[in-house]
Amino acid sequence: MKKYLLYIALFAVSCSKKLDDAYLNPNAPTVVPIETLLPGIIGSMVGASSTTGVSGGVAGDALVIGRYIQYWGDYNGQSNASYIYDEMGGPAFTSATLATIWNGFYFGQGQNLNQVINWGSQQQKWDYVGVALAIRAWGWLELANEYADGIIVREAFNTNLQQFDYDPQSLAYDTCRDVCFQALAYLSRTDGNVSATNLAIGDAFMNGGDVNKWKKFVYGILARSYAYLANKAVYASGDYADSVIKYCGLAQQTNDDNTTAKFSGNVNVSGNNSYYGPTRGNVGGLRQAAYIVGMMTGQNPTFAGVFDPRAFYMLRMNLGGTFQGITPWLGNGPGGGFTTASGDPNFPPNFWGNTAAPQSASAPSGATTGTLDSGRYLFRNNAEFPLMTASEMQFLLAEAEYRKGNKSAALTAYTNGISLNFDMLTQKYALNVPSDQAITPTSEATYLAAVTPAPEDLTLSQIMLQKYIALYGWGVQETWVDMRRFHYNGNLDPVAGTPVYAGFTPPQGQYLYINNGDSLVYRCKPQNVEYTYDIPSLTKIGAMNLNYHTYEPWFNQN
Amino acid sequence: MRTLLRMLLFMLTLAVSWPSMGQQRTVKGTVLDSKDNTPLAGATVQNRRTHQQVQTDEKGAYAIAAQPGDLLVITHIGHKSLHLTVGNAEMYTTQLDIAEGQLSDVVVTAMDIKRNPRELGFSTQTLSGKTIQETQRENFVNGLQGRVAGLSITPTSGQAGASSTITLRGFNTSGVNQPLFIIDGIIVDNSTFDENSNSGTTLGLASDRPNRTSDYTNRIADINPDDIESITVLKGPEAAILYGSKASSGAIVITTKKPALASKLRLSYDDAFRMQWINRFPKIITDFGPGTNGTPSTTSFTDFGPSLPASAQTFDNVHHFFRTGFAQTHNLEGSFGTKASAFRASGSYFDEDGAVPNNNFQRFTFRLTNNTKIGKWVDLTPSATYINEVNTVPTRGSGGYYQDLLVWPATNDIRHYQDASGNRTYALPAADPSVEVDNPLYNTHTNFNKANTYRGIFTLGADVHALSWLTLSGRFGYDTYMTDEFDIYGPQSSQLVSIAGTLTGAYNLKGALENSWMKYHDYNHTIYATAKKKFGDWTVSLVGGTTYEDAEHGTFSVIGTQLISPTRHDSSNTNPATRQRLLQNYFGKYNVSIARNLAYFGQVNIGYKDVAYLSYSQRLEETSIVPKANREYNYPGGSASVILSDIFPAMKRGDWVNFWKVRGALANSARLPDPYLNQSVFGNNYASATGLAYSYGFVNNNPNLQPERQRTYEIGTELTLLKNTLALDVTYYNTYCYNQIAQNARESYATGFVLNTLNASSLRNQGLEITLDINPVRTNDWNWDIQFNFNHAWSKVLTLPAAIGPLNDYYNSDDFVTNGARGGFVRGHSTSTLTGWNYNRNNAGQILINATTGLPEVNQTFLPIGDRNPAFTLGTLNSIKYKHWSLSFLWDLKVGGDIYDGTDMILTEYGRSPRTADRMTPRVVKGVLDDGLQNTANPTKNTIVVNPYLNSTNYYGETTGMPDEEFVQHNVNWLRLRDVTLSYGMPQQLLHKLRVVKSLNVFCTANDLVLFTNYWGPDPAVSGSTAATRGVGGFGYDYFNLPTPMQLNFGLRASF
Repeated sequence: MKKYLLYIALFAVSCSKKLDDAYLNPNAPTVVPIETLLPGIIGSMVGASSTTGVSGGVAGDALVIGRYIQYWGDYNGQSNASYIYDEMGGPAFTSATLATIWNGFYFGQGQNLNQVINWGSQQQKWDYVGVALAIRAWGWLELANEYADGIIVREAFNTNLQQFDYDPQSLAYDTCRDVCFQALAYLSRTDGNVSATNLAIGDAFMNGGDVNKWKKFVYGILARSYAYLANKAVYASGDYADSVIKYCGLAQQTNDDNTTAKFSGNVNVSGNNSYYGPTRGNVGGLRQAAYIVGMMTGQNPTFAGVFDPRAFYMLRMNLGGTFQGITPWLGNGPGGGFTTASGDPNFPPNFWGNTAAPQSASAPSGATTGTLDSGRYLFRNNAEFPLMTASEMQFLLAEAEYRKGNKSAALTAYTNGISLNFDMLTQKYALNVPSDQAITPTSEATYLAAVTPAPEDLTLSQIMLQKYIALYGWGVQETWVDMRRFHYNGNLDPVAGTPVYAGFTPPQGQYLYINNGDSLVYRCKPQNVEYTYDIPSLTKIGAMNLNYHTYEPWFNQN
Repeated sequence: MRTLLRMLLFMLTLAVSWPSMGQQRTVKGTVLDSKDNTPLAGATVQNRRTHQQVQTDEKGAYAIAAQPGDLLVITHIGHKSLHLTVGNAEMYTTQLDIAEGQLSDVVVTAMDIKRNPRELGFSTQTLSGKTIQETQRENFVNGLQGRVAGLSITPTSGQAGASSTITLRGFNTSGVNQPLFIIDGIIVDNSTFDENSNSGTTLGLASDRPNRTSDYTNRIADINPDDIESITVLKGPEAAILYGSKASSGAIVITTKKPALASKLRLSYDDAFRMQWINRFPKIITDFGPGTNGTPSTTSFTDFGPSLPASAQTFDNVHHFFRTGFAQTHNLEGSFGTKASAFRASGSYFDEDGAVPNNNFQRFTFRLTNNTKIGKWVDLTPSATYINEVNTVPTRGSGGYYQDLLVWPATNDIRHYQDASGNRTYALPAADPSVEVDNPLYNTHTNFNKANTYRGIFTLGADVHALSWLTLSGRFGYDTYMTDEFDIYGPQSSQLVSIAGTLTGAYNLKGALENSWMKYHDYNHTIYATAKKKFGDWTVSLVGGTTYEDAEHGTFSVIGTQLISPTRHDSSNTNPATRQRLLQNYFGKYNVSIARNLAYFGQVNIGYKDVAYLSYSQRLEETSIVPKANREYNYPGGSASVILSDIFPAMKRGDWVNFWKVRGALANSARLPDPYLNQSVFGNNYASATGLAYSYGFVNNNPNLQPERQRTYEIGTELTLLKNTLALDVTYYNTYCYNQIAQNARESYATGFVLNTLNASSLRNQGLEITLDINPVRTNDWNWDIQFNFNHAWSKVLTLPAAIGPLNDYYNSDDFVTNGARGGFVRGHSTSTLTGWNYNRNNAGQILINATTGLPEVNQTFLPIGDRNPAFTLGTLNSIKYKHWSLSFLWDLKVGGDIYDGTDMILTEYGRSPRTADRMTPRVVKGVLDDGLQNTANPTKNTIVVNPYLNSTNYYGETTGMPDEEFVQHNVNWLRLRDVTLSYGMPQQLLHKLRVVKSLNVFCTANDLVLFTNYWGPDPAVSGSTAATRGVGGFGYDYFNLPTPMQLNFGLRASF
């Protein structure tokens, strides 16, 4: 009998074993090497494209925010469906517009990034853990800057919750800095399985496995996090300005240190290409705005009469041989200054250089397939997309020193910022620039001389406008923070007595979106899915109000 | 099964020995089926005095010791029992009537355990195989509708080979609601192929589409109805508790025909020939020419142009399209037995050409059963079944042939659907081939699906009568099939093709072809011991055992476009660069889904003096589907029944009350999700990378997910009145389902995912079932039985994931058939709620009218717009017998329940619906203007005159004037004659002359002959999706649903 009982017991055990064998999903992996997760996480910083179809990163939202700050606008003004953004409106609650930072942070990076931290810690790949934390810290700041108090910090990534509470923007700033310090600690470790060669597998298209570059990136995030609080009393009393100065000193110093996302440029795979490239096809309808064109062609009072040789790198000359920009809410429509018939030689071509039919949203024939990628600057399939540059750090430094009253240090940083940007363009973005218009040391020196005042004459306006140029196209979110800090054209330069963003005219009257009341845009509404599933929380923070996007964020306040 | 019964009875006789009586002699008799006078083998004849039991042989004959005055009780599964008082005669011929319900004396309950219905504390209903066969439904489950209270069948469409959804006692989950199917103690598969593949990560098609395009038969339809001896429906989890989680929606237990030992060679043959017609059509108008807003067009299929001139020639395309369907069935069966071993072999062939061109369903089955007795102790019943099924189905649903047919211009004759060189012809002069609607005939011949299934079912029953009171039993089964199917879309067709969830016209893709292979195998066994003993007034029986099941499903699917040849169906016919596959198919492997369950169960039944019974069951189950921590769960169940009429025999006086029983049962069961929902998986990420890159998919598959739970109780009573002429069975049940899994529930991205999977919902489901049997006429020549099956059920969604707002719905994407209407769970509403786009209204409920256009404002959020649940259903079954004639017919009445008519919505937008006939009459839409005063005491009444003819696009538009709410028809009733059968059995005297022929029957059966309904569409029995759809499914959702055809069958049945 005992024998039979044993048989029965064995039988039961073997059945139980068979249950274990069948538990794991045989169809798709549930565990993957963290080296294969990092590329997607990095991809989600700019403009991801995955099987799962949700795009995340700064580039998607930049298309809209670039209209608020007048980097660009839509070519056909009022007749395009997105004209409300040219008019500084926020999207409808159900609209997925202005959600790519949200999507990238919570979904694209989200749990993937958590697993790099989780599995990376188990595998003692501290460098991967550090990189993941660096990206998370960057994400917190981007998220907070865009959505202000409509963000989920404490309850983020909790899959057991069904509804979420929003947290104040300040909490994301604190969390960001906290994560920065964690990231620095991990990035400094050399024990365990830390290996530059191995980090380079996942990090191939960002920093190539160089932890020092990642550390500089983290210091840059810290610098930004203090710099954006310039309106706060504590900033003025010294603490924050000193922090900016300190972290700018630890952040990127040369263009080689720049944090840029790279792309393999395989035109058969959408996600292998820059969000701004012709294959992705996202920026065809955009045209350079009159404000940036004016600033680079000597029409802005701050740099009156000075032509910026960078214009040939960043902007497009029209068929008429001039640089012209559009007024975003007018485009080529009535009052826009262009003839509405297609083929107006003064109308700017698009960023891919489609001059054949300037009033079109498409890329030149062959561009999408990669045979003719005639874009310049960021607008190419494999153009590097900066997320933070040494030049930007110099402008943060310049502002901090200026506010502390150290005008001479500020001026040094100011000129460094300009020349670093010149260098970046000549080194990285010279493709398709007319050879006779290439920047030369002479042209650079001439320009620098023209825009460099005596230290005591330096203005905030000059610093912010040069920064505006240096961040053109990529630093859209950062520039929006700056412009909001100065209330667009609302804050006056204490020296010049004109608006810091001199010459900037936001839409007004009938061209200021109706829901705005008389206010300008200051924040984005939370992602549209929140408007179906987190309505009680949205109501609490006023995000159900039609003018919610005009509420000023915490970082703006004293 | 009979073996088991025999062995149980054998045990009983061993256990109790009786002194023989002096006057005893042998009484002989024959038991015949009253319907057609065929012999009933395997009937049990019990002498109530001696308790001796014997069984009838193949000729229905028996011999039993008895003395005059003894009462013989004759029972047979599926038949009413009969009491026979022994007189002086030596030979008795007895006819047993078919029982339609609970009147039979033996019920097969869970685990193949046969119990006396007296004992049962829950409600079951048993149907004889004969009843099922008589309905002549090739998918036998369709014959169950109306015959079992609480059971409802929804066929997907009227196409040959269509799947059917089976629901017992309503909807308990957003997962799978269908009952478990058991054949001879073995679990057999009844899934319908699910086309969703969740971006290629699960089973399904590479094209990853909702279950609305092709249809695949529900697999239990593979079973040859002629092999079925009886069907017992275990409605609630209390009844099916021993089967575990798979039976939490009840179980349908099929007992097959088995050969009897020591029987002579017996052959039987039957056939049936059927014609079928689609005889119900939606009303369409053909008075107007193509155009929009009153302006003629040469490119538009919408009939909103000027009216057709009287001289215009029009064609009756709808009637030209359908054909007379034809089907034939042939069944051949033979059996033979020695004392130790008996065999039965049966073969069937079914071939049906449906009423839709290019629709064909063929089934061939062969089954061999054996019954072997080894020594005194061991009975073995092995069986092997082979099935081959070929089903050709034109593409249906949205943009399918039926929609094409109904919008096809009346001025164009559909019969000229291709030119001399086989190219597609067009109806409009300026046709754009990529978007112009296909000629429906062209569509059916060009776009279709053909599935070829091979199935083998092998079972082995073994019973070892170890001791007089103890039996060890084993049921071992292996069910396996593979389906090889393709789905082709012609290169000239404009039919939309789903590729990875995106729809593109076949024309633009230069044709598309999807080839898929599905494989399934399920090994399961149940090993258990049954002990039964009597202690004084107490009877105790114990059952204990274990079940193990290993079910593995696999699919391989590849879809490609740019066909090399429009007629080749092999996967190499597409451009390799365009091919897409399921995730593992890229590595040459099948996507698979494995579910293994191990369970231990026990049951104690205690009877006191045959008047009170108590039963307690417990099942412990372990599954591979959930992680180890949550893997084990148990469910208990109990039931009790009391025979009041035997406790208080006085009430039986005067023959008013013959029998009265009250009963109750309760159970707490579990329900399993799909495998792998606990594990989030990675998909390909296309960021720049040096090698492979991954990221998580949309869905959080929750590691903490637990099985759903269900608490249910039922109470009931059975009453037999007026000399057994009236039998009433009333049951009330109450099911509380909690911890339900919301699969793919949308919520904030803050989870890190787009969709979540969580235990968050609950609902309650209640119902009242009444079965009433009346036997108003019972004479020697006449017998008339009437059975009523009444069902009234209601339900309420209690909780949903908190992320879903108070009026928002949780829905299954399969049910999202049209843009603006779907089946959705809303808190506080019925589970069968329809949600959809609706009219904006003011606080007083008046429709808001746009103050500029005069048209209603459409609210494009999903609010409850209807409830598909009927007020009640009533099946009325009449069985009339006169001598050798018998007539039976089933009326199926449904009262109440709403239907969303998506067909009418589309036809309205096309200007073909009768509701657009008065388009030229200007009118004022009733409502109040949305002018700021709408919620004041004096809202502005709308006075803006609109002319639909000149503003057809907006007036009739789903988003601009007529939201989906408008297309819900409330309280749809039907009364249909489901089937009527007239048969004539040759009298034995005549047959004697024929010598060889033992019985001969001729019959005629008509299906769906009569339909009375207030539904404005052709037939209210509609479904928007196939039986593969989870949750409530597509019933009550009309979207170009082909009605069930009317059928006429003629045939004969003979045995030799």
